Amino acid sequence: MNMHLSKGSLLAGFAVILAACGGATSSTPGSSVASSTEASSTVASSTVVSSVTPSSEEPAFTTSNNIILYTRDTTSGTRDGFMGGIGFSAAAKDDNLLTDGFVIADNTAILNAMSGNDKYGIGYVSLSSVNANVKALDFNGIEASEDTVLDDTYGLKRPFNWMLRNPGDFPSETVENIVDAFVAFLGTIEGGETITGAGAVALDSTTRWDDIASQYQVCSSDNSAVTVRFGGSDSIEKVAKAVTASFRPRCGNFVAEHEHTGSGDAYKRTVGAQKDEAVGKDVGFASRPFTAAEKEVDGTALPVEQYGQLAWDAIVPIVHLDNPLSNVNGDLLKRMYEKASTNAIRTWAEALAAEAAI
Amino acid sequence: MNQNQIKKLVDKIVENIFFATAILSASFIVIIVLVILERGITPFITDNDGLGQVNLLRFLTGVVYLDGPTFLSNAYGIGYLIISTLYNAFLALILAAPVSVLTALFIAKIAPKWMGELLRTIIEILAAIPSVVYGLFGSGVILDLVYDLSLIAGVQSAGGLSVLSTVIVLAIMIVPTMTVISEVAIRSVDKSLIQGSLALGASQTQTHFKVVLAAAKSGIFTAAILGVGRALGEATAVALVAGSRRSGITFNLFDTTATLTSTMLLGMKETVGLDYTIRFSIGLVLMVVILLTNLSLNFLKRKVGRVNA
Repeated sequence: MNMHLSKGSLLAGFAVILAACGGATSSTPGSSVASSTEASSTVASSTVVSSVTPSSEEPAFTTSNNIILYTRDTTSGTRDGFMGGIGFSAAAKDDNLLTDGFVIADNTAILNAMSGNDKYGIGYVSLSSVNANVKALDFNGIEASEDTVLDDTYGLKRPFNWMLRNPGDFPSETVENIVDAFVAFLGTIEGGETITGAGAVALDSTTRWDDIASQYQVCSSDNSAVTVRFGGSDSIEKVAKAVTASFRPRCGNFVAEHEHTGSGDAYKRTVGAQKDEAVGKDVGFASRPFTAAEKEVDGTALPVEQYGQLAWDAIVPIVHLDNPLSNVNGDLLKRMYEKASTNAIRTWAEALAAEAAI
Repeated sequence: MNQNQIKKLVDKIVENIFFATAILSASFIVIIVLVILERGITPFITDNDGLGQVNLLRFLTGVVYLDGPTFLSNAYGIGYLIISTLYNAFLALILAAPVSVLTALFIAKIAPKWMGELLRTIIEILAAIPSVVYGLFGSGVILDLVYDLSLIAGVQSAGGLSVLSTVIVLAIMIVPTMTVISEVAIRSVDKSLIQGSLALGASQTQTHFKVVLAAAKSGIFTAAILGVGRALGEATAVALVAGSRRSGITFNLFDTTATLTSTMLLGMKETVGLDYTIRFSIGLVLMVVILLTNLSLNFLKRKVGRVNA
């Protein structure tokens, strides 16, 4: 008797699965796939855009399909840069503003989806992770590459900047000298290689650290008892830590203390209101241009030597290789990602029409 | 000191060492629970550095993970995650149970001895594979399969990131655990019961299904409890195939999903403040969910698990 019962419940279980399978029409809030049933029912009659002969079961690219949006999670600096770059900063930290049905994934998962099984997805990654298995989209007609980033023609990027304490305002002269040497190191080939290795685009350089090291006497002594405090943008944390790790052995093994809390603290904690508090920093990083108010203290402009750029962070929108889309702009991407968009782009056909209008 | 006293002294010392290690391992549980509890209730009793207290009712019943910007809002809700966690785990159980039980039956009663040994070894190895490996397999193979399946079903899935992928990965993960335990239960069924059944003229198959499995019910239930426990608590593998859904309850197999654990994991290394402590609260809820599930399954087991019931 009992076996009959349990067999029955198993069958019921499978019935649940099948019912759920067929239940694609259920519309729950935030559901992506449910809303796509309508689109997929028109698959047969839709246009197929590809030079490849489409196989009978899987058309090469069905433009009437919905766009599946991929995004990093709200703690990601790349997301911050992307949303800021397309004019949708509000969504950098808020998932509710994004079009229903988006997928949160990390860098690798976004690359995997675009290079493999999600033909109808779009996502974004940092320039250093773009590879030949995905299609990198042009931004405003400019292809993303180190060259177009450095000559400032590629637009979807943000600067990585540094700012120092006022001269003479460091905890000691040794710290000030180490910081001077550190800034010099940022502009060297070795520094650039470290920055590139950490995923950003370093500025062009022709100087080698080994050639200028002798100008920085402080680096030839033992600095293992000296602590230098780094802070500011959390998006730059990885790059900053890589650079200090590479620079420490070159400068007497000073101690690098990192506390990255946000770009706003770059100014605030080096020359601004909090500079003399416990959270004060010797070097602050910002993953955006400094505002006019951040380039002065009490109406006096900061000397230009006190801040500068170390790298660019370029973000590239990517799609599947089969996707016919090749050029986008901030407005087009925003219309895809924004839930409340008045001129929303939800299918690839709409995206291609918008591309043609750029 | 004579020989005997020395022996007694050594015994005493060894006893105390054992006692100390027992206390140590037991206290880990207590410490872990206390830390999670202490951190987990913080969001509900403090003002979270100016963000305000998290509303417990909304937290437990909400269908939007976070209403408002991260680091600026306290409107967390994980009701939909509790439901999808249970839904995923039980679908995985439904998928894994027949496979596990029939495999266990085959190994214990039907297969030749050498084959049974071989299969058991393989399954024990499977049980020891770390979950991240299952996750990688899932994201490399299962996602493709599910995506193709979704095309056949005429549904557009997000690259296979879905309830179905999650359920399949979880099922593959819990089959070894369930098989090993079911097999022990099946093997320990009283021989005289089986011989009695055969002597009464029942066929081997009839005996296997009506006597052996019925008699091993209790052990099979234990296997299911452990399997569900593993499925409920799995984070890494799920995070790789689920799609990190942020709002809304879904039962659609091709829709993206998320579980309590995968949500705890998402962005954990990059976050601070309330967004970090809220993960301890989710952990607390998860422990309660697992506890309640185990209790109710144990209750069921007592109800239907008796041999003569």
